[in-house]
Formats: sequence, C-alpha cells, structure tokens
Amino acid sequence: MDPRYLLRRLGQVPVTVAAIVVMTFVLIHLAPGDPILALAGQYGDTAYYAEMRAKFGLDRPLPVQLVTYLGNVARGDLGTSFTTGRPAASIVAERLPATILLSATALIVSSMVGVAMGTVAGRRPGRPADVTLRVGAICGYATPSFWLAQLALISLAFGADLFPIQGMTDARRSLTGIGSLLDVVHHLALPALVLAASEVALTTRLARTGLIEAGRGEYIRAARARGLSERRVTRHALRTALLPLITVLGGRVGMFFAGAVLVEIVFAWPGLGRLLLGSAQTRDYPVLLGIFLVVSLGVVVVNLVTDLLYGWLDPRIRYQ
Amino acid sequence: MRKLVTIAVCAALGLVACDQGQQRRPPPGAGPTGPGTTATAEPVRGGTLVVGISSDPGHLNPAITTSGATHTASELLYNGLLALDEEGEPRPELATDWDVEDNGALYRFHLRDDVTWHDGEPFTSADVKFSFEEVLLNFHARTRASLSGVLDTIETPDDHTVEFRFTQPYAPLLLQLDVTEAPIVAEHIYAGTDPQENPANTDPVGTGPFRFGSYTEGSEIRLERNDDYFERDLPFLDAVVMRVIPERATELLALERGEVDWIWNVPGPDLERVRNSPDIDTAQTASNPGGSNCIMTMSFNLDRPVLGDVRVRRAIAHALDRQRFLDQIEFGQGHVAEAPISRGIPWAHADGVDIPEFDRDEAARLLDEVGWRQQDGGPRVAQGINGIEDGTPLRIDFLAFPTFARYGELVREQLGAVGIDVQLRPLEPPVFADTVFAQDDFDTNVISYCNGPDPEIGVRRMYDSSQIGDVPFTNAAQYRNAEVDRLFEEAVRAIDRDERSDLYRQIQEIVVQDVPYMWLVDSRSTRAWRADCGGFRPWTGHFAKAAFCRE
Repeated sequence: MDPRYLLRRLGQVPVTVAAIVVMTFVLIHLAPGDPILALAGQYGDTAYYAEMRAKFGLDRPLPVQLVTYLGNVARGDLGTSFTTGRPAASIVAERLPATILLSATALIVSSMVGVAMGTVAGRRPGRPADVTLRVGAICGYATPSFWLAQLALISLAFGADLFPIQGMTDARRSLTGIGSLLDVVHHLALPALVLAASEVALTTRLARTGLIEAGRGEYIRAARARGLSERRVTRHALRTALLPLITVLGGRVGMFFAGAVLVEIVFAWPGLGRLLLGSAQTRDYPVLLGIFLVVSLGVVVVNLVTDLLYGWLDPRIRYQ
Repeated sequence: MRKLVTIAVCAALGLVACDQGQQRRPPPGAGPTGPGTTATAEPVRGGTLVVGISSDPGHLNPAITTSGATHTASELLYNGLLALDEEGEPRPELATDWDVEDNGALYRFHLRDDVTWHDGEPFTSADVKFSFEEVLLNFHARTRASLSGVLDTIETPDDHTVEFRFTQPYAPLLLQLDVTEAPIVAEHIYAGTDPQENPANTDPVGTGPFRFGSYTEGSEIRLERNDDYFERDLPFLDAVVMRVIPERATELLALERGEVDWIWNVPGPDLERVRNSPDIDTAQTASNPGGSNCIMTMSFNLDRPVLGDVRVRRAIAHALDRQRFLDQIEFGQGHVAEAPISRGIPWAHADGVDIPEFDRDEAARLLDEVGWRQQDGGPRVAQGINGIEDGTPLRIDFLAFPTFARYGELVREQLGAVGIDVQLRPLEPPVFADTVFAQDDFDTNVISYCNGPDPEIGVRRMYDSSQIGDVPFTNAAQYRNAEVDRLFEEAVRAIDRDERSDLYRQIQEIVVQDVPYMWLVDSRSTRAWRADCGGFRPWTGHFAKAAFCRE
C-alpha cells in the first residue's frame, strides 16, 4: 500500500471528526429547548435561571461557546455535565463498555448467522431454502427492533423464563469472578440477539448475492474442473463474496449504535444509547456532544480500518 | 473447533439459566401468600428490596434540585425537620416539637439530640441553618421561590434549637419542611464548597434510614440499612436497590416476574391485570417524591383575542366531557376535578364551586352568542366579532408533552363536536416550557400542575399576576385579577386555618367564573409491590423506611 495514501487517510480522521463536532454543536444548540429549564425543574425564579445560564456559559454568543468548546476538546476536556456536575468524558467512558459489549456481540452473531444463511441460500439459488431465507431476511429487515425487543421480552424472558427481563446483572446478588461473567452473559444474550436480528437480514442478502456472483467467476469453474468438492469450492467463493460485507462494516457500526438506543431502553441495558436519550431529553449538551464525538470517531476509525483491510484481503485493489 | 465453541456457548447460557432459575423468586401464581396477607403480617428483619425507577437521577442530593428522579432515588438517605403523614399533616422527624410565636412570624424548632450523620458526626442546629442558607435557598427551586422573599433570619440559640424569623406572618412553613421540600444536608460535608459540584452528591452522607452503598450510573443505586438510625427499630430491610428501568412495560414485567419488588407507577392499561394478580399489592396516592396533589389542567392563553372572551373559554369548558379523560386516559386513577385546588388539600379544597359541566348545547349557545357561527356542521367561522375578520375559522392550537398526547386527541375530538378546530402540537418538556412560558406562543395547553401540600407552594403560582413571566409552570394563562392577588397575599399571612380556608374558597369561586384554566382530572398514581413484601408508606419518599420482605 502506498504510504502517502495511508497518511492521507489518517489525516482525514481528525478533519472529519472536527467537522462532525462543529455540525452537531451548532445543530444541538439551535434546536429548541432550554437545558436550564430541564435542569431546574418547576418553580424556579428568573434570577436562578440567569445564574445557572451564566454558570454553564450558556449566556454567551453561540460562536464564543463553540470556540471555547473546540479549544477544550482539543485539550481532552469534554466539559461538565449540566445534570450531574461530573466530567462528560467520564460519564461517556463509563457507559461505553456496555454498548461496545452489546453491539460487538450483536455484530459477531449477526455476521456468523448471516453468512451461514447467505451461504445456504446462495449455493442453490431459487430452491425452497433460498426462497424461505430470502423472505425471512426481508421480514427480519422490516421488523422494527423495539417491537422485536418487546416480543422477545414477553415470550422468551417473561413467558418461557429463559432470560432475565432487565439490566446487566442480577440486582439481588453481588457476584464475582466467573459467576459475575456468566451473569452478564445471561443478561446480554437476549438484547444482543434482538439487536443482531435485523442485521442478519442484511448480511444474509449480501453473502447470498456475493456468493452467486462469485460462482460465475472463472476461478470457481477452474476449481470445479480440478475436481474439488462443492464444500471447498464454496469456501473459495466465500472469500470473494465476503468483501462487500467488510465494505459495509463501517456503516453497520453506526446502524448498530442506532439500534442499540432502542434495545437498551427496552432491556434497561446501561449503555450509551440510553444515556443519549436521557441527555437529549434534558438537553445536557456536554454529554450529548461527548456521545456524538465518541460514536463518530468510532465510525470514522472503523471505516478507515475496513478500507485498509479491503486492500489487504484483495491484493487486486490498489489505492492512489 | 467450531462445534466446541458452539457447545461451550450453549453450555454457558444453559448453566446461567439454571443458576438464575434457582435463585429467582417463585413465578406468578406460585407465591406463598394471598392478596393482602403480608400487609398485616409481622415485619421481618433482613432482605433486599429491589425498586424500579424510571430514570437515572444523575446525582443524589435532593437539596439542590426539585427533579423527581433525584428525589425518588435519594430521599431514603435524608430527613426533613418534619415529615408529612398520609393526610398531609406535619409530624416530627429531625425536630421533636415546635412553637409558633409573633402571630406566625417566628417558628422555633427543638431538634433531636440522638441523630448522627452516616459518617458518625453529630447532627446539630448548625446543619439546619447551613442547609437553608447555603443550599436550599440557593438551589432548591421551590424553597427558594417561596421562602427567599419572606425569610428574615435563621438563628441557632443552641445545638438543638433553631429559629426561623420571617418579615411577616408566614402560614405554610410547617408543610414545607419534609424531606421533599427541605432535606437537611451536612454542614461538615458541604461547607466551603460549591454544593452542585461536591463529590458527596454521588457519595452522599445523610441522616436517613438507609446509608449510601454504591451508585452505578445508568444502572442502579444501592442503599444499606443505617444501623444507627434514630428511630431505633427501623429500618427492617438490609438493603434497597434502585434499578433504573426506563421502559414502563419492562418495569412491570420485572415486577410480575419478581425481578423487582416495588414500582412507583402502574401504566393505566395494565391496572386491571395488576390489581387482579395474587402476587401483587397496590395502593393509590396523590403524593410523589417530586410533587403532590397534581391536577391535569388545560390553560387558556388570555392574551389571544379569541380566548380573551370569557364566553369562549366557558364554551370550551362546557364542551369537555371530563369523565372521559378520567376513564379513557387515566384509567380511573383519580377523580374528575371538582375545584381549582386539589382534594388532596382538604382544608383548602372548596366543595361545590361552579366549574362548567359538560353541556354541548350550552357550549354552542355561548359560541353563537359571541359570533362564532357554524354552518352545515363544519368548523365555526367569525361573523360580526369585533377585531376578528368575518369568515375567520375558529381554530386553536393545543400544546402538550408527548406523554400527554392522548389529552390532545380527546380535546380535539370533543371540541370538534362543537365546531372548534384544534391543532395538536406535542412538544418535549424543555421545548414546551420555552414555548409556553418564555415565548407565550400558544392558545391552549395541558399541564399537570402539582398543588403541593399547601396552596402557597403550588397553587398561587398559577393565578398570581406577579407570576407571569418566563419561569416554567407558573401563570401560563397570563391571568390578572387584582382581587385574587390580594386574597393570596392575605392567605399567606393568615395563621388560622379556618381563615385561610375561607380565603382560598373565595379565590376558587372567582377563578371558576373567570375560567383562565379548565381543571380536568385530580390525578393519582398507583404504586405496586410484591405481595410478599409489606409495611410501605406509598405517599412519601421514605416509602421503604418500615418496609420488609419475606424471602
């Protein structure tokens, strides 16, 4: 790979993230609603609100607030939460692992299941298995995750009593070691499956299409001519077929976060998604901006990694 | 290898499922007790109570905010000078007794001498003086709004006496001293710091029945029994865990399965099912840690030409079938509002005042009289109304929080039946507050106005003309009536409750004639808890002080 290309791509990361921060800062501050009203609750007096606005710098012109914020971010200071008085960076950092755990599990599960289903469907296009999986994939893609979450909650957690209903741990017990780990896995299973469900559909369709197209390639015909088993031929084809999946990985990370917001609310999973909703309702600007900063940074970095990975996996691709 | 991984994952999930299943409480229907049996059972010591709360409190200092989320999660850690009983009457808490002198301008409280903070330091009158002067009067919006203009000095003649001196006779003080309105915080923790940024806000030290255990933001707050609590037999529980569950349906399922033991509100559509469950007990109350005695109230913007005419407001009031709001939206939780002051303040609530009752014919007659004419059953249009162009349709907007959207739908349907076109504008709370109170940009809206334990706390702000401005949840209607202002001022100085009762009756008789608001539903909440627990006080933030659970 051309090192200049790598440097250029790396250089784009801070520029992109800075642009996102500026845009979100302006949009959030222009949106109607006053954080002080949400913070102070009922019955406050005018002087109190004025004091609070001054305290949080909200009485200054927007460009001044923006410049101050960018300066602080450059020094690693994301500001102080209006509602808790704690550093926004700490709040976001505390909630990030839960969301990463949920999203990464869902990503892995959806990728494995989707590729397996896409492979079954793509090996014999038009057969009943293919049709069934395609219809299933469309249904899965069209099902809103909050609704699926409610269904799963009522049937699998409440009805069948297979999973806990809410939270990341059992509230009644203070477990440690392997017991604690298993407890988290048990609480994670259902929300991760629900979050994975809609993404399975996308992965299935991409894997299926990729496999069918790869099957038309000369190297596949050559492999068959060499007398390789159908299983080994499929493995050859999959290597090419999976490239588009890697391409869309960056976008899927963003989608997973959006899905996680709803799933975390239904299952009371203490992650960033729920923090985002609460912060939006109270107009807690520093925390909101901190979340957008972290998520956009994640998406940009994943996009960079997938671009580089793509070139590594497919040596025919050359970057200029 | 893949097979091995698959088996390992399945085995892990299966093991946990089995493990959890053994620890879980019995499933619905398998409970050891029938309905109501535990409520009268002898308390038992020990056990953990798991409580569902709908939002993360952010911090645990109820003295610097009126946020319901913070008060719900933290009031068990603190005390007020007084408590309020189920009838809303003051009872001793940190103060054992009190004297009222100078015709209500001086209150002297005698404090308990056996109270210690959770860190072992003794509680004294200096803590009370500090809490009011440095914290409550600066940061607790309600205490600041009500006391800052009339409180003269707070003196501490000795460690166990505190005196509040007012610039004038001040009647409602005793109802403003419970843990919701005036929680007492420790001087030795907060002195010399910014109370809003003190680390103790997330590692609190109080005097309450439970001490702080841990706080995992967004997930749960653990409280542990305060073995040195001044009410020597209490509490019974070893621990209370507040679990943050934002989705109401999830919270209820968790209660039904026994993952949580107590929830603060049962959603209306589930009320019947919950009440019929042998594993769950319920109670209705008008009080919440965030506010009490709330009335769902429709405000009219009197500055709008259409609504400035009292006959139009009265017509709208007559067009509303309030029983349907109670039945269809609140699922019977509460009462059709009978007076502008909640029935939860019985001595101030006026029976028999003349609130416009549901009468569509009268509504149509009044609108015709004004000049809003209806043809062929369509929307009414102006005809010969001074200041309004002929042919202008009778159209008003209606603002509400998204959670009150169903009020809007019913208002639109009912006003549509008399030819008034209602445009719904659902707005998030911060936007709603800004639009209604700062910009005055609305025709009508609905607000849950919490009256509090005394009309001076939560009623006066709705009608007093000095409360017109950009402060949220004050006088939304822009209502001005000099006689009403005068009566409120007289009522705050009147120490005799009968005299105050008479003054508030006069106020209510005037405002039901002026109709700046329409009082829809005197609302209540339904608490629900596992029937193997008992001893709750559902009306207060100290709800679990005497609670117990049988394992």
